[in-house]
Amino acid sequence: MIQDVCFTDTLLEAAKEVFETMIFMDLQPCGEVDQPIEGEALMATITFSNSLEGCLAICAGKDCAEAIAVNMLGLESAGELSNEEVTDAIGEVANMVMGSVKSRLTDVYEDIQVSIPSVVQGREMASSLGDSSRRASVKINIEDEHVMEVSLLYREAHK
Amino acid sequence: MAKSLMIVDDSATMRKIVMRTVRMSGLDFERTEEAGNGAEAIEKLKESPVDIVLCDVNMPEMNGIDMVKKVRAEVPGCADTKIIMVSTESSQDLIDSILREGANGYITKPFTPERFQEKLSPFMN
Repeated sequence: MIQDVCFTDTLLEAAKEVFETMIFMDLQPCGEVDQPIEGEALMATITFSNSLEGCLAICAGKDCAEAIAVNMLGLESAGELSNEEVTDAIGEVANMVMGSVKSRLTDVYEDIQVSIPSVVQGREMASSLGDSSRRASVKINIEDEHVMEVSLLYREAHK
Repeated sequence: MAKSLMIVDDSATMRKIVMRTVRMSGLDFERTEEAGNGAEAIEKLKESPVDIVLCDVNMPEMNGIDMVKKVRAEVPGCADTKIIMVSTESSQDLIDSILREGANGYITKPFTPERFQEKLSPFMN
């Protein structure tokens, strides 16, 4: 069943829906998937379980995360933002992208349960789920100015 | 008649986004309240009922489904309050069960001002 779903396309479509509807920013896929986001970055993760289990992660540089938060909150500049608002905003992006991914997978995996998102800040961050998992990842160019990575670590649960 | 609104979500950012989207939808509320989880919402509703509640589903401490049950069972002042759930959860089974518990509508994230207009305007008169 797992081969029937193109998770990379699903991630991209889900991210586009969220960014166009809620954040009012244009995004396009870009290459260099294996390169980590450089400099200080925020990573929002949200886990899911049942017939498909794993973790969705969104990694964005600090500037990118601030630009997203500014647009989400309808502010003029990043100077008006608190760190908590930036963290909260990236967590909500992960939450909404995961919700959009989940709705696209319901025909194949109808019982997916999703956790509450968590956000960490650091450098050269990567997510991992052990040897038995697969990984789909897209790097996304936002407004020709920022790069964000959306990745999905997943495996079908053992029954 | 002027209406009152409460937004319940554990994310302060999402509460602001919901509020902004309500404004963009053209709906006008005389009084707006916020709460960070179901328990806080119930305390506020007991003191001061509102006409419409927009409530997240997945929240720590008390989730949206438990909040709907408690409001319907324990807050008589909110007997006519319309509760609209706002969530990324989109499974029809979940939506059906939440509506059975006493919610009056469901909006999935991501949402648009038009969606708020469509779901809330029937309760504005």
